[in-house]
Amino acid sequence: MTRSFPKAQVVVYPGSNCDRDALWALKYVGFDAEFIGIHDHIDADLVILPGGFSYGDYLRVGAVAAREPIASEIKDFVNRGGLVIGICNGFQILIEMRLLSGALLQNSTGKFICKVVELEVSDITTPFTNYFIKGERILLPIAHGFGRYVKTDELKTNVVFRYTEDVNGSDEFIAGVSNNDKNVIGLMPHPERSIERLICSDDGLRVFLSAFNYIKLKKTQEDQKANAKVGV
Amino acid sequence: MKYIDILERKLGRKATKAEIEAFTVMWSEHCGYSHTKGYIRQLPRVGFGGNAGIVPLDDYHFIAFKVESHNHPSAVEPFNGAATGVGGIIRDILAMGARPTAVLDSLHMDKITEGIIDGISDYGNSIGVPTVGGELRISNYYKYNPLVNVMAVGIGKNEHLIPSMAKRAGQVIVIFGGATGRDGIHGASFASEDLTGEKATKLSIQVGDPFAEKMLIEAFLEMVEEGLVEGAQDLGAGGVLSATSELVAKADLGAVVHLERIALREPDMNPVEILISESQERMAVVTSPEKADRVIEIARKHLLFADIAAEVTKTGQYVAKYNGKTVIDVPAKLLEESPEESIYDYTPSKMPKFSWIKFKDIDAHEVFERYDYMVGTDTVVKPGYGPAVMRVKGSCGYSLVIHSRADLGFQDPYWAAYITLLESVRKTLAVGARPLAITDGINYADPDVEPEGLAAQMMGLKNACEFSNVPVASGNASLYNTYKGKGIPPTLVIGMIGKLEDLNVPRPKKGPVYALGFKDFELEREKILWNEIERIAKSGHFVVSMHDFSTMSTLKSELQNVGLEMKLKIPKCEPAHQLVVVFGDVETKLPKELIGYVR
Repeated sequence: MTRSFPKAQVVVYPGSNCDRDALWALKYVGFDAEFIGIHDHIDADLVILPGGFSYGDYLRVGAVAAREPIASEIKDFVNRGGLVIGICNGFQILIEMRLLSGALLQNSTGKFICKVVELEVSDITTPFTNYFIKGERILLPIAHGFGRYVKTDELKTNVVFRYTEDVNGSDEFIAGVSNNDKNVIGLMPHPERSIERLICSDDGLRVFLSAFNYIKLKKTQEDQKANAKVGV
Repeated sequence: MKYIDILERKLGRKATKAEIEAFTVMWSEHCGYSHTKGYIRQLPRVGFGGNAGIVPLDDYHFIAFKVESHNHPSAVEPFNGAATGVGGIIRDILAMGARPTAVLDSLHMDKITEGIIDGISDYGNSIGVPTVGGELRISNYYKYNPLVNVMAVGIGKNEHLIPSMAKRAGQVIVIFGGATGRDGIHGASFASEDLTGEKATKLSIQVGDPFAEKMLIEAFLEMVEEGLVEGAQDLGAGGVLSATSELVAKADLGAVVHLERIALREPDMNPVEILISESQERMAVVTSPEKADRVIEIARKHLLFADIAAEVTKTGQYVAKYNGKTVIDVPAKLLEESPEESIYDYTPSKMPKFSWIKFKDIDAHEVFERYDYMVGTDTVVKPGYGPAVMRVKGSCGYSLVIHSRADLGFQDPYWAAYITLLESVRKTLAVGARPLAITDGINYADPDVEPEGLAAQMMGLKNACEFSNVPVASGNASLYNTYKGKGIPPTLVIGMIGKLEDLNVPRPKKGPVYALGFKDFELEREKILWNEIERIAKSGHFVVSMHDFSTMSTLKSELQNVGLEMKLKIPKCEPAHQLVVVFGDVETKLPKELIGYVR
């Protein structure tokens, strides 16, 4: 009998620095998880673009990383319905790749901000947020210098997380958004840093649990279908 | 050059121009520790002698740590001075085979200098090492000579511990990292004189490239993981010259260095400039010839320059060549044997009655919230509560304290050093940890003008370490912190590492708050106080040990952030006291006074 496990890959760009934290979080909730580089191929159910300073944030945040060979792999993966989370610098890269709308500019304070902030979960219909209650207030840490979200397109922005107060000057307090198909999410706060109460809070855990169970359920259904076909 | 007579006597001939340049760097106070090595030898030591201090943490891991100053550069160019201060000490930790896990900084300034904070923030955040704590001392004494002391910590696996020396002739030294430019030439010499000295130009300041540093960290750790690194040294003060000569001199070996193989940012540099440039983000790795290709391959994969820069020889001579032409040829040992100044005997006297010299009370959130203190997901206690507490995933925890008492240093350097160490122990015990070892950062004015103060400070440190049974694992000395001859107060910065078995660190809770202990200081009582702190912390109560309880703004606002209000009447005490503040009702034999509450 076939049993497939949810598999995740973390893209390590030169200068990524939350890659190891993301891997830890993925393994913590039960994913088969591994790193991939910018010249590798995607073979996973979930791909994470981690936080950090890809290419030192030189030129423009996320701009160089968005033009690496892995970018077209990610785009194909998204078109096939694969799940992608971009956290912090990963969010900036997704925006540079135009997989998400909007722009991320320097914080209105002009300074890097590292602290735990309160967020409201605005959309619980995505594969990443179905473990939350709509409107629920959660605590997640932020650590960024360029996190001011600005709406750019006429297209409707699907907001997934909002700050409950003005943190960095973002339009409508937006902290995280998804694409229209809701299989790509980008957020400035760090859910991978808040999976254990010992370290910060454990509200971020549910982002990974949501994705894990969403994938698991889909896989179980697929396995059942396949197993039924061969008469197991 | 200061020691030219000694040099020429030892060489038995006139020194060449290139030799004078080289020895000016290597025998500078910054590299050679001429005024302090006699004192350092007297300290009780553990895991000493490598790029950073080493102590065992558990059965599988060691902890590498060291504090380093970047005072002179930060005075002239705050942003790059402070940034490269972080970069430099990180590479010392790395060179031991440890992954850097935490940074703390001790800052003494006359006001919050934006450039310094930005420099640390920009560099530290990019390389993905959390800045988990520090101390911020604001006082006019540091108007011209700010002190930027950075302590870095790393965790390594025992089998990955790397020696800071070559082993045998026939090994090669690969230098890899960023390209070499003219920045930082004579940085070491500049850091060894008054700020108005002739080398105090921006040219002697290194320029930081955090992206290259991040790539360097990952590349080096990959080399270690693959067993390619047989010895290592970072390139800091004294550049190629210092790193390669130290690697071989320690093992009584020699080297032939090929300067034309160093990748340049400025192609018209002359051989001596290449030899002594202090460009950042470079490392020297000792390896076997057959492993060198793989070392170079890994470096290039991480977008870094790399080449075999030197061969280790058995001659004992340090030979630097440029396209086959000899630039210098001197005994490697001689480069390391900087002249030693005589040390002074200091006989301690009774502790004086200190007067209060206050540092400004500031809410440090405006500083530490600009540092990423969480990356790595091992920060158990964040900045704002006192000592930082970190964990090793799947193992134990460790506490980190950085502390100084310049206010006392001004009045009695001996007792200031002594009390700084005792207070560091109190802070460590307060989070439920046991002290393992310290790293000491000596910041001093002119040792030629006031040699007694330095002697007193070092004696105070030695005696306090022996009293506390806490050894010294590493250290740094920054002398000549003077401006137009006027100096800073003797400022001994102590970085202390402790070990925690239980990661459930006490946190502040609602309830009464007590001041516990004594308002003055008597050495005989110190260990009684320690036992009480340890016992109370282990019983789950939050304990604060501070030298000045009127500077609690940071804790107050931190409590506000988590919805608690702290109302305290500041306990009156002497500048040197034995008081701690305890949250919650506790039984104790020590004097106890209710001073307020948290609600």
